[in-house]
Amino acid sequence: MTDPYADAAGLVARSAAAYASSVPTDPADDGFFGPASVTWRVSADLSSIVAGLRALLVQALHPLAMAGVDQHSDWRRDPVGRLAATSSYLATVSFGDRAAAERAAARVRRIHEHVHGVDQVTGRSYAAGDPALLLWIHAVLVESTLVACELFGTPLEAADGDRYVAEMVVAAELVGVPRALVPADLAGLRQYLSSVRPELRCTPAAAEAAAFLLDPPGLDDDIADIWQDVRDGATAALPDWAREMYGYRMARALPLARRIEIRQALGVLDAVFLGEPGVLEARQRIALRMRAAQRA
Amino acid sequence: MRKPIATVAAGGALAALGLVMVRRRLGRLRLRRGLAALRLAARGGMRYTRSAPALFASADRNRERLRNDLALQTAEDVADTLGAMKGVLMKIGQMASYVDDGLSPAVRRTLSRLQDSVPPMSADLAARVVMQELGLPPERAFARWDPVPIAAASIGQVHRAIAHDGRAVAVKVQYPGIAETMAADLDNVSLLRRLLRVTAPSQDVDALVTELRDRVLEELDYRREAGNQRLLAAYYDGHPTIHIPQIVGELSGRRVITSELSDGARFAELTGWPQHERDLAAETIYRFVFRSLYEAHAFNGDPHPGNYLFHGGGRVTFLDFGLVKHFTLAELRPLMQMARTLCVENQPEAFRRSLEDAGFLRPHAPLSTETIVDHLGVFYATIRKPGPLTITPDYASAVVRRFFDLRSPVAEYVSIPRSYVILQRINLGLFAVLGELSATANWRAIAEEIWPFVQGPASTPMGEAEVAWRARRRRLGPASEAEDAAKPAIDFVHE
Repeated sequence: MTDPYADAAGLVARSAAAYASSVPTDPADDGFFGPASVTWRVSADLSSIVAGLRALLVQALHPLAMAGVDQHSDWRRDPVGRLAATSSYLATVSFGDRAAAERAAARVRRIHEHVHGVDQVTGRSYAAGDPALLLWIHAVLVESTLVACELFGTPLEAADGDRYVAEMVVAAELVGVPRALVPADLAGLRQYLSSVRPELRCTPAAAEAAAFLLDPPGLDDDIADIWQDVRDGATAALPDWAREMYGYRMARALPLARRIEIRQALGVLDAVFLGEPGVLEARQRIALRMRAAQRA
Repeated sequence: MRKPIATVAAGGALAALGLVMVRRRLGRLRLRRGLAALRLAARGGMRYTRSAPALFASADRNRERLRNDLALQTAEDVADTLGAMKGVLMKIGQMASYVDDGLSPAVRRTLSRLQDSVPPMSADLAARVVMQELGLPPERAFARWDPVPIAAASIGQVHRAIAHDGRAVAVKVQYPGIAETMAADLDNVSLLRRLLRVTAPSQDVDALVTELRDRVLEELDYRREAGNQRLLAAYYDGHPTIHIPQIVGELSGRRVITSELSDGARFAELTGWPQHERDLAAETIYRFVFRSLYEAHAFNGDPHPGNYLFHGGGRVTFLDFGLVKHFTLAELRPLMQMARTLCVENQPEAFRRSLEDAGFLRPHAPLSTETIVDHLGVFYATIRKPGPLTITPDYASAVVRRFFDLRSPVAEYVSIPRSYVILQRINLGLFAVLGELSATANWRAIAEEIWPFVQGPASTPMGEAEVAWRARRRRLGPASEAEDAAKPAIDFVHE
């Protein structure tokens, strides 16, 4: 552990491999979304890294969700392994056939069974399998994807935004949220997110995780430069109240020129990801199925 | 709760880490030696072009079908594939090949995968570009139009067609929207600077950024390429071994360029020809590079193997003039002085002064002149002494190594002024090509024929044929008239 990059290097290779192998070559069916879905379209968007970072920052503001991570996750010891597993899970649920997605979700539900405890900050007890917490994680990811797309990616038409929210209901169901609880359109999603806001706060654990994500230790100058674009994008995409909780200086809406710059940096990062073995082929498999669906 | 938060990080985050990793690995391996995303792309670019003619007609049917199935259908597809810096990254890579060397495998892979990720345009999309540029759909603009591209070109693709006058032509069609996208990406100077700093730390980054932007922006307007090609075609009109295809002006525009179709052997075939054929081809390439530079004041910055067609007897067709740099006499003079003082007059002190005057060497560097000649003389090794000499692959890579040897005592005091950045292609590109041919010639004697400050006598049969060509040129002057006519079409002097 003397050189954190040795681990990280393994992670990239592992994550790319996980991603590539989670995109099936010979699926039994189109899975829970399918090649004509909005989900497939947005999952390849350049903005997804900003979406992921923003989602982590917002999710961490729920004290019980954060306590679970803080007390049970090994993210400090192995941030890379954590990301690789996540990458694999998301790709499997999105692009895998139904059986593969269900297997992956069942594994996550099993792990959640053992994650419970008491949050030291609020004194409340929590359980990872609690549908209320699962719904929070789900809703923030869905919203972050839309916000990041709007700012740095290819924005969706309003109807497609609603469609995306509706498509993603099944992802929440897979990890154990009853369908009736899951917002199925944009308005419902926003309403739900505001309803949770009174519970949110920046605990010390959240501040620690955010600090790590925004400024991963050990970056050399050049990387830190590029990462700054991603970081600026994610913090600019935060809701005002989240920026306030973290105590970030309030950024006004980003000027268009800055948004374009961030998008360009995201393109460079994407080119690097594309360079990992199997990633291009996985993307081509997805693209071919989307083209076929378009023609049909 | 450990899983939910983990589930959240999008796969994209890994991309960022990937970059960190790649860079980090590079950093460790090379320390100050600059590998670069640049160079990365450079190699990729070369490989791409070299294999390009076979690309879409590949024997590998699956690959061909894949590329057709994934063909870019709309301008939005083009932006998705080449926007957000990706097209610029590819150009940086192409350019990096004359800027730096020693690409790490990781970087090389990244760039080559980037190339692979670009499919051709669909027949409809290409036809729409032709329609916009020429005012007619390709089936009417041309007597015959082959909707299947024969090659990938820089930011476009090449189609075969027959013009209404019966000439077989090659039509290069640019990806729609690419000019706007890349121009916007090239405006992000701070990101370019970061990319170049990482990839080419041994170079003056600001000079590189400026050079990259200028060259790529020029390349995006095919009318400039047509102007360059017209100029050089006129200059070499009637040349015994150098052939440059004619531009068909009425079928060319900003995003479409039509020229006579040339046929010939590819570089890979040439390497299987008898040595004397390879030597003759090498002599022609050598004459072309230096005659263009010293007499037409133009240098084609893309002298890689994909841009030559070979016809035997030393006859070579030169393709692709998208990356031509024009020089002023003031820019050329120091180069000539360097060659003259070192090779002809053998005056080391004067050589040193001309290096300093040109900006290659910092004045008052605490180095002996002997050391300087020792280290920089290698670039002149083929022409310092008369007599036949074989350019081997080893020599070519020695030049490259010397060029990038940052541990050498002179490295700290040497830099490449912006106007000459592109000329590094001579050291890195031309010698690589000649080395691959293991070409033998009396390079010094040929150089003397061409050097304006020597104007030596013909030293080979090709040189004699050139004397006759030059005499005819002077007598008839048709080429120079054409040359003058071509001038207004281009901005002859850039600086």
